[in-house]
Amino acid sequence: MSAASTPHKPRKKKRQLVRSNTLTDIAKVQPGSDRIDPEFNLVSFLLPARGKSQWISVPLILIFTGLFRWCVGIWGYSGQGIPPMHGDFEAQRHWMEITQHTPPSMWYFYDLPYWGLDYPPLTAYHSWICGKIGTLINPEWFALYSSRGYESQSLKVYMRATVIVSEYLVYVAALIIFIRHYSRSQGLGTTASNIALVAILMQPATMLIDHGHFQYNTVMLGFVIASLSSIYAGRPLWSCIYFVAALGFKQMALYYAPAVFAYLLGSCLSPRLRIGRLLAIAIITIVAFAALLAPLLAGTLYDLYRGFDLPYRPPPPFLAQRRITLDGKTPVGAILLQLSQMVHRIFPFARGVFEDKVANFWCALNTVFKLQKIETLIALPRLSAYMTFMSILPGMVILLGCPKPQLLPYAFASSAFGFFLFSFQVHEKSILLPVLPMTLLLGSSKGLSKEYRAWIGFANALAVWTMFPLLRRDGLAIPYTVLTALWTWLLGLPIFSVSCYYDPDLPNVPGRPLAPDELRTPTKIFHWWSYILMLFWHLLSAFAKPPDNKPDLWIVVNACFGCLGFGICYLWCTWKLILESGLLDDYFEYIERRVDAALNEADKRVTKYLGEEETITEEKEDGSADSASVVATPSSGEKHSKKKGKGRKR
Amino acid sequence: MTSSFSLGQVLDLKPIAREIRPKAPQSTQEQYHPTLWQCTVVAATLKILLLPAYKSTDFEVHRNWLAITHSLPPWEWYYERTSEWTLDYPPYFAAFEWLLSQLAALIDSDMVDTNNLNYSSWPTIAFQRASVIVSELLLFAALYFFVASTPFGARKQSHAVALSILLSPGFLIIDHIHFQYNSMMYGILIFSIALARTDSGLLSSGILFAVLLCFKHIYLYLAPAYFVYLLRAYCLSRNNVFRPHILNCIKLGVSVLAVFGAAFGPFAYWGQLDQLMSRLFPFSRGLCHAYWAPNMWAIYSFVDRLLILVAPYLKLSIDPGALHSVTRGLVGDTSFAVLPNISPKLCFSLTLAFHIQALTTLWLKPTWETFVGALTLCGYASFLFGWHVHEKAVLLIIIPFSLIALKDRSYLASFRPLAVAGYISLFPLLFTAQEYPIKTAYTIGWLILFLYVFDRLAPAPSRQRVFLLDRFALLYNAISVPLIIYCSLVHQVLFRDKYEFLPLMFTSTYCAVGVITSWIGFMVCYLSS
Repeated sequence: MSAASTPHKPRKKKRQLVRSNTLTDIAKVQPGSDRIDPEFNLVSFLLPARGKSQWISVPLILIFTGLFRWCVGIWGYSGQGIPPMHGDFEAQRHWMEITQHTPPSMWYFYDLPYWGLDYPPLTAYHSWICGKIGTLINPEWFALYSSRGYESQSLKVYMRATVIVSEYLVYVAALIIFIRHYSRSQGLGTTASNIALVAILMQPATMLIDHGHFQYNTVMLGFVIASLSSIYAGRPLWSCIYFVAALGFKQMALYYAPAVFAYLLGSCLSPRLRIGRLLAIAIITIVAFAALLAPLLAGTLYDLYRGFDLPYRPPPPFLAQRRITLDGKTPVGAILLQLSQMVHRIFPFARGVFEDKVANFWCALNTVFKLQKIETLIALPRLSAYMTFMSILPGMVILLGCPKPQLLPYAFASSAFGFFLFSFQVHEKSILLPVLPMTLLLGSSKGLSKEYRAWIGFANALAVWTMFPLLRRDGLAIPYTVLTALWTWLLGLPIFSVSCYYDPDLPNVPGRPLAPDELRTPTKIFHWWSYILMLFWHLLSAFAKPPDNKPDLWIVVNACFGCLGFGICYLWCTWKLILESGLLDDYFEYIERRVDAALNEADKRVTKYLGEEETITEEKEDGSADSASVVATPSSGEKHSKKKGKGRKR
Repeated sequence: MTSSFSLGQVLDLKPIAREIRPKAPQSTQEQYHPTLWQCTVVAATLKILLLPAYKSTDFEVHRNWLAITHSLPPWEWYYERTSEWTLDYPPYFAAFEWLLSQLAALIDSDMVDTNNLNYSSWPTIAFQRASVIVSELLLFAALYFFVASTPFGARKQSHAVALSILLSPGFLIIDHIHFQYNSMMYGILIFSIALARTDSGLLSSGILFAVLLCFKHIYLYLAPAYFVYLLRAYCLSRNNVFRPHILNCIKLGVSVLAVFGAAFGPFAYWGQLDQLMSRLFPFSRGLCHAYWAPNMWAIYSFVDRLLILVAPYLKLSIDPGALHSVTRGLVGDTSFAVLPNISPKLCFSLTLAFHIQALTTLWLKPTWETFVGALTLCGYASFLFGWHVHEKAVLLIIIPFSLIALKDRSYLASFRPLAVAGYISLFPLLFTAQEYPIKTAYTIGWLILFLYVFDRLAPAPSRQRVFLLDRFALLYNAISVPLIIYCSLVHQVLFRDKYEFLPLMFTSTYCAVGVITSWIGFMVCYLSS
């Protein structure tokens, strides 16, 4: 900049109103004036960025959401100062320790009772890298055996830093690219997609579990998002690779597997059979799995070659039960033993149907009807497998028949909810999995409408609420309160705002046709009562002592209500999936025609009747009726969907 | 008629509610987003999350004051010396602590025990931190008033300025992590400055500033500008210097005396003024604070250090006594090896000289903007040439300057290096690894956001603009990144624990260059307007 070249002109540009089709969802534009009233608080923060460079707004979003993450991290973690076993923090630290100091062949065998490794190999590799870097800084942190239960401020800072760095490298990067592809495919404006980005990044449940409680869920979730994003970008093979990475980081990614499988298979079958694509997908998946396991198996073979005495005792129980013995001295035997031990560690079928109190079907059922009684009729693992299969079936069938990418978030959510509610061995933290794809819907074309905002907000609020007992144990009650309140406040949800549920511009009369994105009354009532119940539960658990013979009463109530809420969220996602797929459109049209005919008949009769009564007002009446019918046409389909969806609508 | 056929239409029910509900009044006042309140809420959530963060000895200082004011009668407040952190703020602040201590005693009675040194139970931490967050509402109110008092044309700019002050990293670092009550005090200051905009507000502005002085005496640095402005604009006629408004003089004099009387009167009655003053103004300290505040003396010390290295070649004489203390700059007492030593008298006269220069302009042109400019220059002069200046005092420049930074582009050009240098100079306050990402990320985020926003909002200057240091400023801002990286990471890797003073010296010298540059730039703007 110099005096000669630039005259001192103000850089202010002419105010341009870029009206994307979603502006009506996020703000009310007063006709005839420039005044814009944001629908919810988060919009206020991102409206000024309209028309400005993404190179400013996205880094700022990342900086400030990162700050909140780090600030959660200065609070407690799971098992802080609770010897001898501590908690998830110690488990992760311990894995860094054993991957540092034992050869790969030992990883899945080393001292299993003390936090033995029970995640897939990518977690082990990740621990290895984090441990290597950490050892450079302070070797005490990950010294073999002597570091058990090691706690210090600097270790805490380092571990927190590994979470946040891993998250930014995988989850955040994937999310930004995903939002870009997704919002483009949905015709969403930049401001709206930035709003969605902030809302997804500020999800209280994910932040509290990863940065408070201490886990690396976001790495796995990040790979899942990358996989989704690749599908939107038209790269199904990359999507396979990312999904295998997600599976390789945490086996919980299996919750999404039916949807991914159905979509990829469906895309090879319709609109026409594509054998080449099918083969490519199959081969890439196998290669990816091979690459995932290669370091572990190569390490095993190398240890065998070195003559390292491999500690294959005890052998994996499911081999022992079937009296299969493998010779660990031969390469094939060693590899098979290693793989079977890995599978045994990753899928602990020997444990109960649920640990702790979880807001899923089995825990809820157990409170009213003891599961032991069912046990006599049918083995619980088998029963849960059947029920899980039934619950994920609708999503799979639809994706197989109609593999459209825009259905994927719904299908992911539906499938993950099915697993969460009905499968075996569920942790309360697993609720992050179904809630994430549901939250991703904020980036869809309807994502910021009242209806979606209300449902996504409800699912998130419920998810973080069901984890409250866990978070309280970790000393995270205050971050829980603050972050949940902040998120609901930003998105204009109860208890801070009724903007999703009530629009003062609409007349308050019974029988008024619904506005395009308005919730039905039963839904409104259900949501509101849920919020009230959640708040009331907090009061109860804070101040009221449960009866002596039922010390866990509040937690059970929490789990049971959570299960009910998640069940309804599952139905909503599945129903939306059906509607969006368009498979039932013909059916709806048929019904619509039938109902229209019936209504016309009634209409004629009424006008005839009115015409006899008052001939003067007839014309007026007709005019108003016509204009009303024009307004109501787009929502006419919803009327009928009510019969199917019970309080849900398109 | 189609499926929209509804009960309401059959019965010809007119929508009742629509007629009853009045239309929302179409306000002509434009709302700017995000609003001050929205930012306050988000900032408050972040600050609540910072409850368990690092806290300096100032936390214990304030806890001790709670204990002193709660357990002792006022006439013993300024004598109590169980803890080394004796009460050294003026009486209103002591009274504020007394008020807080009433609540504190209910929450944890151990907190208000003078013998309970270094007591920091969880309720104590939560209570003290919460008191800072709540007292910050005063700043919110002041900024709200400031925006509302701005003329319509400049409201958008003043909204941006208000947000920048509300979210200032200075307050986050000093108040919410390091622990002090600055945001509340600056709230009072901004209230007072905003009141001074109109003639009718001048009296209350003066009273409020007197109150502020009785809260924290560091604002004495700004007092000359207040004195001159109130004298010129309130006590004398604006057009004719020789026609005093006697009534105004009496009103102002009486009320200011009343404020001071209420604060110091009781102590004068008990005959404790000497003791009080010795607590408020401890003159036994060195030229530079433990960590050099980024002012002239930091550069002076830096040059002295350089001269020690080259002195053998230039055949300069070195004071051997000063040479031995390698950690010079870390300890309080400063003596120079090559350059002549600085006396308090010199500091004082330099400060005074630059005060007079700023105040002369104010006397000749007593407008509100000149007044704020004079406040800023008083802050600059005191900060740059003062004796034993704290790095926290840089807010005394930044906050008043912010209020007029968007006057035009030339003001903004001199504001930029000040913002960068001023906030980076606060970094050494927090040295723990855990707080490192917080201070850096927040400050960098703030700088990106507000320098960008300011850049778009500042109007072009009305007079010919002097392009003095623009390119230099860009380079200067860019250097901050490697500097931060060096100080936080590279230095530790290279030297481990040796030469601890190096990063501090680099930081303060770097920041001093920025502050001095912006001072020169601002002087040019101020004197040429």
